[in-house]
Amino acid sequence: MLTNADFLALEGTAGNFTATINMRPRYIDADACTACGLCTQYCPKHHVDPYNEGLAITRPIHIDYAQAVPATYYIDPSSCLFLQHETCQICVPVCQSHAINFKQQPEERKLQIGAVILSPGFGKIDPKTLEKFSYGKHPDVVTAFEFERMTTASGPFLGEVKCFSDGRHPKRMAFIQCVGSRDIGCNNGYCSSVCCMYAIKEALVTKEHDPEVDITIFYIDIRTQGKDFDAARERAEAIGIKFVRAKVADVTPWENRLQLTYATLDGQHKFEPFDMVVLSVGLESPKDAQKIADITKIDLNKYDFCATNGFNPLQTSQEGIVVAGAFQGPKDIPESVTQSSAAASLTAASLKKVRGKGVELKIYPEEQVVAEGDEARIGVFVCHCGINISSVVDVASVANYAGDMKNVTYYTENLYSCSQDAQEVIKKKIKEHKLNRVVIAACSPRTHEPLFQETLRDAGLNRNLFEMVNIRDQCSWVHAGEPELATIKSKDLVRMAVSKARHIQSLPEQTVPVTPKALIIGAGVAGMTAALNLAEQGFESVLIEKGESIGGNLKNLHHTLAGDEVQSHLKTLVTKVNGSKNIDVICNAELVQTAGFIGNFSSVIASGHGKTKVEQTFDHGVIIVATGGREHRPDKYLLGKSKKVVTQQELEKQLAGKAKTRAPGSIVMIQCAGSRGDDLNYCSKVCCNHALKNILKVKEINPESQIIVLYRDMRTYGFAEDAYLEARKMGVVFIPYEVDRKPEVTEKGGKVQVRFFDSIMQEEMVMNPDLVALSVGIVPDDTDTLSKLLKLPVTANKFFLEAHVKLRPVELSVSGVYVCGLAHGPKPVDETIVQAQAAAAKAAIPLVKGHVTVDPIVSSVEQDKCIGCGLCTSLCPYGAIVMQKVDGKRKAETVSASCKACGICAAHCPTFAISMGGFTNEQLISQIEAFGATGDR
Amino acid sequence: MGKAMKNREGAVMVLGGGIAGIQAALDLTELGFYVYLVEKSPAVGGVMAQLDKTFPTNDCSL
Amino acid sequence: MADQEFNPSILGFLCNWCCYAAADAAGVSRFQYPPNMRTLRVMCTGRIDPAFVLRALAEGADGIFSGG
Repeated sequence: MLTNADFLALEGTAGNFTATINMRPRYIDADACTACGLCTQYCPKHHVDPYNEGLAITRPIHIDYAQAVPATYYIDPSSCLFLQHETCQICVPVCQSHAINFKQQPEERKLQIGAVILSPGFGKIDPKTLEKFSYGKHPDVVTAFEFERMTTASGPFLGEVKCFSDGRHPKRMAFIQCVGSRDIGCNNGYCSSVCCMYAIKEALVTKEHDPEVDITIFYIDIRTQGKDFDAARERAEAIGIKFVRAKVADVTPWENRLQLTYATLDGQHKFEPFDMVVLSVGLESPKDAQKIADITKIDLNKYDFCATNGFNPLQTSQEGIVVAGAFQGPKDIPESVTQSSAAASLTAASLKKVRGKGVELKIYPEEQVVAEGDEARIGVFVCHCGINISSVVDVASVANYAGDMKNVTYYTENLYSCSQDAQEVIKKKIKEHKLNRVVIAACSPRTHEPLFQETLRDAGLNRNLFEMVNIRDQCSWVHAGEPELATIKSKDLVRMAVSKARHIQSLPEQTVPVTPKALIIGAGVAGMTAALNLAEQGFESVLIEKGESIGGNLKNLHHTLAGDEVQSHLKTLVTKVNGSKNIDVICNAELVQTAGFIGNFSSVIASGHGKTKVEQTFDHGVIIVATGGREHRPDKYLLGKSKKVVTQQELEKQLAGKAKTRAPGSIVMIQCAGSRGDDLNYCSKVCCNHALKNILKVKEINPESQIIVLYRDMRTYGFAEDAYLEARKMGVVFIPYEVDRKPEVTEKGGKVQVRFFDSIMQEEMVMNPDLVALSVGIVPDDTDTLSKLLKLPVTANKFFLEAHVKLRPVELSVSGVYVCGLAHGPKPVDETIVQAQAAAAKAAIPLVKGHVTVDPIVSSVEQDKCIGCGLCTSLCPYGAIVMQKVDGKRKAETVSASCKACGICAAHCPTFAISMGGFTNEQLISQIEAFGATGDR
Repeated sequence: MGKAMKNREGAVMVLGGGIAGIQAALDLTELGFYVYLVEKSPAVGGVMAQLDKTFPTNDCSL
Repeated sequence: MADQEFNPSILGFLCNWCCYAAADAAGVSRFQYPPNMRTLRVMCTGRIDPAFVLRALAEGADGIFSGG
């Protein structure tokens, strides 16, 4: 990790680049800094805090936030008194670990690398664009980024929303959408794709703080097209957040408030006062985009984002350089995370030959045997954490208290238990005093347990012979005003931990070998892409398809919005898949049964029909679910009843044909036909773009064609907004309709008639178009069967539910099973391809490793005590306990690789036959007993 | 992430240590490659570290 | 007892992933709360056997907190 570093140059070619990096000095020795924060307290100079969007003041010597990685302070040279004026240096003697070093110089480093991933993020909209909204002129006009820091509980205002002008709580708030996006004025024609979501989020959070506040969101289109995003918008509406479709012309100060001037769709101009205005500012291309492009010679698009192609969405114009995240186009967190995994898999494929060569494996000393009967020799280390703990808790008294306890062989205090030298001390003391249990009273095990466990392993102790006591985060920090009680609490917690430590045992490090093969279900673009990527990384897969041939929905598509030919791409893809040695394609096939767990699945695949039907069994290590989806066919608007009513997909096919009349002279398109609260409860994400690409095609073939689009929100997010603008310039008419006033389609004497309310003219309209095209939405292909077969959860809308919506978007809750494509949720082809590459990356991880490690804190069943009742099996949320016949009797057994250590089984076992590693009944009871034994403190 | 070696084979540079860069770096290490995560600011985390909660579940983002 | 402040002794079972994390976060944000609770970390509140609760009450707890 190279922070505070500038990218200066890149030479060479794919597989063999040399990058030049300039490391700017931090003026603090990272190895010595313990992040105690003393220096910031003593530093006399103020520094505007960019982490808090300038809403707070920090010091030149600081850390952005407590959890920052690396947890090393740094000195911002722009305001440091010494670096600017050669005075002060107060921090130098203050630092107890002598970490401050003003002699540090910039250092240039050359990196030998095989590939580059560009993920520089996004930039900020120029404040000039915001001036017409009085930003910078009136303190109560803030950007959404500033407002985010304001609503943050750990932010500078502790989550309190107040006006900067006079500190009052705002009663009326306005959010203005599309500030700096969809705005030709500032040359940002694109949609930033995230602002609608964060505005709704911030409005909801504000309402949580103060239910009385009146919030209005002024918007052009609400673009909550992501998976389950519409539901949040509905929730916002339900709790009284107002959505007004209007363009805000300006914001002017008016007494102590702000006046908004806006124009609604029906042409009315309105004025309304607000206490506070939040600008939903868009995402700009990164500030140094041009510089990166100059160094790497990649192409940028007209908005200075990285230029890529829809069928290879992350490949830049330079071989060996891929892009991920907002630099590829504005996007939200899950999509950035997905792209990053995809970028990793592309890079891994291109560097397959040198995989594993740059990584060193660490070798641990042989583990000392600690048998159950051995006398416990416990070492207790109590940490000062600089002054974080010792300024409140009497550390010496806690350590002495521990020293008096039974089995405590050694005790001491550390200034910083986590520092490098403290690790050496701990190792030394373990050997010196033959310690076989270690208790460290310091900060949180959630952050530091792995570090200390590593030290134990280095000292030849099993890492589970360790217990941590949290006397900082959950004691000194939260009882700062009650030092005596905090000391008593620390003693109690140490006593409980020592008591538990007497009973802790070594747990074996378990690893399970992996069958280096994948099963991919569904051979649409998602499944094919995933299989090809895995093949390029050197792994075999079995690709099964329930249809006659591979290709999926791509077979129904002809061109993309960007104008690329779909069929020729499909042909290449199919040829590659069929030609790959690593891919075994089985059509007319379905999954019948799967047993096993991550690394060791075994599946039965049935293929063929009738007499030719065969069943084959495959062993494989991972599963990628790419079962896809299909066009929804609503029983509405005469679809299927009138020849003049077609779906967008049918229109696309017609347009790709040769018929002279393929682009009719007048078309009415109806968006959300069946979607968004109609038959389907969600937005299908692709239909607006689908309509637009057909519109542009019709106009290309027949420029005279008159097209009217009836829509609810045009969701042409990202760069697709350009196409929307182009269509409007061509004279296509877009008219929004309300969900309670849907258009009606009737047929009389072979003529189709559309009746709708024109919200712009404010009158009822009747049209007789040559054709009605419906944007019908996407439904998943049968997910029920697979969901039962593999124990995979699905959403209310029958799409597979990912393990974590933001951070694990392609993993499913069952380890070793990944999802991509329409089975996960509606999405366009480019996003499907990226998601498939991401799924391939995640699936390749266990395949590359060759084994899966199992955290030792898992459940285990004592077979003698098990009565085979099966309660545990029925309760386990992860399918990690199975019933097996042992000598003719039903016995439970843990599948360690699937166990998540929740302990539900152990808590419910009627015969106490199940034990949790590290959390046994014996250990917990002794901890509870120690809780009660308050006598001797 | 292992210790730095000179001229190591199979190293990748990830430019930008926001959520995208971090995820790419983590996945690449797991896939058997050495990663240089190059970030211009003093800490990794990017914009996501500034966010309070995330849409639509309003989970904490840190 | 009548004029004495009630100062209960509470045992808290905290789930490692949520409530224990939240308690850490409270510390990071320096939220102050009364020091009456002693915490016992579990990997999930599902681990809590009702017998643990009874045992804690028998050991003198005035209240049990379970957070997950």
